[in-house]
Amino acid sequence: MSFPFSDDHDMIREAVRGVLQDAYDGGKGPEHIYKSGAGYDAELWTSFAQDLGMAGIAIDEAYGGAALGDLGRVVIMEELGASLASIPFSPCSTIASDMIAGVGSDEAKEEWLPKIAAGEAIFAYTDGHHALTVEGGKLSGRVNMVLYGAQADVLLMSFRDGDKFKLIGIPQGVKGYGAETVETMDPTRSFSNITLQDVMMKDVMHLGEGTPEQFDAIVKTSFIGLAAECVGGAQKALDMTLEYLGQRVQFGRPIASFQAIKHRAADMYIAIEAARNAVYAAAMAEGDDKVEAALIAKAYASDAFFDVAGHAIQLHGGIGFTWEYPLHYFFKRARANRAVFGQSAREYERLATILLGEAA
Amino acid sequence: MSTLRDEFRDWLNDNLKGEYECLRWRGMPGDDEAYPELRKIWEAKLGEAGWIGLDWPSEYGGRGASDADIIELAEEYAEHGGPGRCGHIGETLLAPTLLAYGTKEQQDKYLPGIKNGTEFWCQGYSEPGAGSDLANVKTKARLENGEWIIDGQKIWTSLALESDYIFVVARAEPGSVGNKGLVFLLVKLDQPGVDIRPIKQMSGSSEFNEVYFTEAKCAEGDIVGKVGDGWRVAMALLAFERGTSTIGQQMTFKNELNAVIKLAKQNGAANDPLIRTRIAKAYTELQIMKFGFRRTLSSDQMSGADFTSKIFWSTWHRNLGELAADVMGASAEIINEGEFSALQKLFLYSRADTIYGGTNQIQRNIIAERALGMPREPRGGQMVTKG
Repeated sequence: MSFPFSDDHDMIREAVRGVLQDAYDGGKGPEHIYKSGAGYDAELWTSFAQDLGMAGIAIDEAYGGAALGDLGRVVIMEELGASLASIPFSPCSTIASDMIAGVGSDEAKEEWLPKIAAGEAIFAYTDGHHALTVEGGKLSGRVNMVLYGAQADVLLMSFRDGDKFKLIGIPQGVKGYGAETVETMDPTRSFSNITLQDVMMKDVMHLGEGTPEQFDAIVKTSFIGLAAECVGGAQKALDMTLEYLGQRVQFGRPIASFQAIKHRAADMYIAIEAARNAVYAAAMAEGDDKVEAALIAKAYASDAFFDVAGHAIQLHGGIGFTWEYPLHYFFKRARANRAVFGQSAREYERLATILLGEAA
Repeated sequence: MSTLRDEFRDWLNDNLKGEYECLRWRGMPGDDEAYPELRKIWEAKLGEAGWIGLDWPSEYGGRGASDADIIELAEEYAEHGGPGRCGHIGETLLAPTLLAYGTKEQQDKYLPGIKNGTEFWCQGYSEPGAGSDLANVKTKARLENGEWIIDGQKIWTSLALESDYIFVVARAEPGSVGNKGLVFLLVKLDQPGVDIRPIKQMSGSSEFNEVYFTEAKCAEGDIVGKVGDGWRVAMALLAFERGTSTIGQQMTFKNELNAVIKLAKQNGAANDPLIRTRIAKAYTELQIMKFGFRRTLSSDQMSGADFTSKIFWSTWHRNLGELAADVMGASAEIINEGEFSALQKLFLYSRADTIYGGTNQIQRNIIAERALGMPREPRGGQMVTKG
């Protein structure tokens, strides 16, 4: 493997790919999971998190993690994007573990990071500061479209308390907590709407606090994982397309030999490589540069994934439009990423504000 | 600890001033006609101070600079508004080619002039009938009485009028076709058999020229490689283009984007949501190019960043030209004192970027065939055009 990855990263990529291949019958894909409507593959998550030990890829060694940072996570997210595996790595092992590591108290870190690393607890995260109210020691409100919210043992939420943001953890099944799985256009993952009705604050775990800027930075840098998933998904869509183009014969030759086809495939590759640059740059960035690099990665890679998946369907012709052929899952995943995590216009406006100031 | 970069910064502060002050930010692609004579004197100053060929072997005056050093120095140069380099073709393209494929005699003969910033080179590849189909060169070379005799025509030759030498790809085996039978020759421009005619471009300037050879001559020893190696050497030279020679360009791009941002803030275009998005995207893609370049320099084998860099930067730059014109608005149309402004030049000249050095269409073919392994289009050698 080449820059920026090390031998450790290569080994992880190989191991993750192997587990996904085994789980999905030599690459036939996780359709049985999608068809079940659950969007969650519990068996795979167990082998991935517990047997393979991947849930703590970026967690400090002191807490039982592998301390391989964002580059390690990028490797895994690329593979998960390519396989569209239905496991909660993204919420649990990117944003939730970063929240605890970043703004959590020492006790919270000591209690929960080892559990995440060992695959013993699933965490999800959502920002509740517009949605939650606290009155008389009771928490109420509703948050929608929480990734793997229904499967989470603990739902992390942030909310505003004066100048600070607080990080709380709501254990699954606490009184007043309701999680309702939503059927979505993207069947590869599980989204839930969460209702909190008079949840007693004493039943809630107080895990940490920080400035709104700290929370914002953690959310933004967690986009690096999402962006890597987009790169992996886009690459897989291109690979499937190239395979098909080489086989499909029209006018007496494989359609891969037609320039109109080749040029579109080249454009897909250009977009993927550019997204790759953005993602790897963000994974390697440090300090203040990291948030900006993460915004760039998220904006560019999520658009590239959607465009590439669309081109892939076009280049496949009729077969790409069928339900049976698995290309549409990539298209739907790409679209869902934009829907749930925001469209690139938001990141571009934020970058514009950095470059140009606020619009008058 | 003083680094090469610190040393260079001090040197630029001490030297890029006074009579050279007017050179700041000038002479980039599209502005090549700015102060050609003074820029050559500037090159000699750079050479004299040892700022050319820092990564060459020590026997030719290199200072053991790493790729990282070269990047830092290019950044420093661009931050000071260092003028466009007339010596870049010699320093970043020909010199590495001679170091890799040239003879000791050729290295001794040609490297010092490049190193001193006193001898300038241009590239004789394209011909009227050999543009995208570069292997179709018709310029002929024959060996006669211990000299190469060259007949033919090159076109789109950047900086030919400002140069002392040209490296020429020519056909030495009569009847050979395509990339067979070619030679790579080192030819002095100031001789009776060479005629240079500038081409006036849509940007108003004349970076590009036609170069006619009528029994032009060079010594028998001025061939790099052997007869038949011309294509291999020519391609190896192009491979250096993906390396260090693009660093300065990235810095120029940054300066140009900054100029667009500055204008947008001044004239209120920065409040237009569509302009804001385009500027943010331009910045995003510039950062992407920067890291792609790092990927290229940091890996031994070709990566996706290598295959895609030409089409990515050229398209980016052309888009930046359009963005610049849109930020200027109606005033983009007005010519002040008979001369295009820097942003007008950017807008017009950047149309060339997606054409020279392999058009975007050729780049897509290369990506499809070499990076993606797609089949070649059937070649049209036998095709007959109806008259």
